[in-house]
Amino acid sequence: MPGKIRKRSPLKAPERPYIALGLEGSANKLGAGIIKHSPDGSTEVLSNVRHTYITPPGEGFLPRDTAQHHRAWALTVINDALKTAEISLHDIDCICFTKGPGMGAPLTSVALVARTLSLLYNKPLVGVNHCVGHIEMGRQITGAKNPVVLYVSGGNTQVIAYSQQCYRIFGETLDIAVGNCLDRFARVINLSNDPSPGYNIEQEAKKGKRLLTLPYATKGMDVSLSGILTSVEAYTQDKRFRPDGPRNEADTDIITPQDLCFSLQETVFAMLVEITERAMAHIGSKEVLIVGGVGCNERLQEMMGVMATERGGQVFATDERFCIDNGIMIAQAGLLSYRMGFETPLAKSQCTQRFRTDQVHVAWRA
Amino acid sequence: MTLYPVLYHSNMSEFNTPTQRIIAAATLISQGAEAKVYKAELHPPAISGSTSDEGYESEPVLIKHRFNKQYRHPTLDASLTKSRVAGEARAINKCLRAGVNVPGVRMVDLQEGVLGIQWIDGQSIRFLLGGGAEGEEEVEEVDDDGFEEDATESNEDSLKEYNITQDDTMQLIGKEIAKMHKADIIHGDLTTSNMMLRRPSASDQVPELVLIDFGLSYTSSLVEDKAVDLYVLERAFASTHPASESLFGTVMKAYEKEAGKEWKTIGRRLDDVRLRGRKRSMIG
Repeated sequence: MPGKIRKRSPLKAPERPYIALGLEGSANKLGAGIIKHSPDGSTEVLSNVRHTYITPPGEGFLPRDTAQHHRAWALTVINDALKTAEISLHDIDCICFTKGPGMGAPLTSVALVARTLSLLYNKPLVGVNHCVGHIEMGRQITGAKNPVVLYVSGGNTQVIAYSQQCYRIFGETLDIAVGNCLDRFARVINLSNDPSPGYNIEQEAKKGKRLLTLPYATKGMDVSLSGILTSVEAYTQDKRFRPDGPRNEADTDIITPQDLCFSLQETVFAMLVEITERAMAHIGSKEVLIVGGVGCNERLQEMMGVMATERGGQVFATDERFCIDNGIMIAQAGLLSYRMGFETPLAKSQCTQRFRTDQVHVAWRA
Repeated sequence: MTLYPVLYHSNMSEFNTPTQRIIAAATLISQGAEAKVYKAELHPPAISGSTSDEGYESEPVLIKHRFNKQYRHPTLDASLTKSRVAGEARAINKCLRAGVNVPGVRMVDLQEGVLGIQWIDGQSIRFLLGGGAEGEEEVEEVDDDGFEEDATESNEDSLKEYNITQDDTMQLIGKEIAKMHKADIIHGDLTTSNMMLRRPSASDQVPELVLIDFGLSYTSSLVEDKAVDLYVLERAFASTHPASESLFGTVMKAYEKEAGKEWKTIGRRLDDVRLRGRKRSMIG
């Protein structure tokens, strides 16, 4: 019997404006964002600055070099964020940073900046789970109340739903993340990493026509993606593969890189939409929220939209400003927990590469 | 082996195949993850009309219609639908032969993506354990002085109606899954929504536990696949019934008992799967 259980949110409206600085650097994006929670309950993004470490085509980003990039840009990015927001660090209530999960070296270098600022300006630190940051920012921007969350990025592929002060993981990848799968294939066919390999795959896929058979591996609410990457890579060794288009007009039975991008996206996204739908049916939710870097792929948003409409539901997605890793989401999730009285003491401000979404106590939700 | 009618499309008017007529006369019950589920009669008066098929009494059937998924590429959708309907029917028949409690197949239509199975009178374990009915949604309210309701109240009363204890139900679950795995069938989507208790016909009878929804099932004798199957269920228990995770222990004990000597390898593999699955943290 469909019914609604109403609960009160434990988060009280703030008695004064709260401002938080969020620092993010768990992968190749360095971000700083400033957010303001007002007593009337409104939330305002004061600034959201990002700088991405871009590697040459065919190469991924290595932890050491990425950390170096973050160290080199940290002050510039934070200064930019403060300038855009027109505030000084003295006006801020807390400094939020990504505690994990992510690459060790980049995480540590950003956390070091956060600790230094915290000591210099005598501001409390708030360690934030990266995934929870994505979810909270997505909820804030889209206004989705209690959605099933599909979190898809270079390092994560999870279907998440909230239950009893915890973001529970209903389904996830059994091997590699979807962004990882797309990025690695982009490197195989030598696509540029600027602005991101996933974006370039999306553009190439629009020109693809032929759907090639790839494995379709959903297991319950989980997916497996590594085999698909292997299969799509194998097509680049196929006799019909033409990296530079058809040889002549009679050359029709061919496979182009565009076809491969198209097939890869169609297959992988169909799997993701399917497990999301399964989770929706399982918990009876009608809202879907897509977050994470792959979430700004318009084809994925479109497919999810069709699925949600078929179920009489609604899909919520954000654009690249909030989908791709950013500082503002860390500030948002950090400020929510700070308002519930949470702080990370300096002695416990170390980063962790392993920090699951369901390990966080979501105190601010009913 | 049981015979069931396979419907062919000899009909010229494609909007009026026998299957479509059955669906048109059926009542929609729910829209699951990938199919619409109807309660129907295989021989509605309009079709049986003058002919008197004595082989079939008019028992209700559950029609599972895998309708076109518009979001999926049509080619991909067609091949997936076909293989899933056929696969589900095969798995059910295999279960029946192995003595697993499953609803029997009543009709198959691959073109339309329709599978008709025996109607089970009962309720899902998910509902009986108080995981809430499907379709129930939690809503947060910021400014409301309303009272709080306990969402995880156990439906002990519903179980009493089936005169079975929670513990016994868990044992039935473990036993049926072990029987299924012994026949080398992997369910692929073991959750408490995919198990039902059949309402006992007499009040002194013990209800039967029926496994349903073999849409993702496949055949495998690999220890790995069986372990993953159990792991999927463990997670389903943890996420749907967070207050009662200890129940899964009872399920496993009954599984162990029924699986016999095979349990040793499966159990060990399950530990491995847990390590690389749930506990695994990813980066990014």
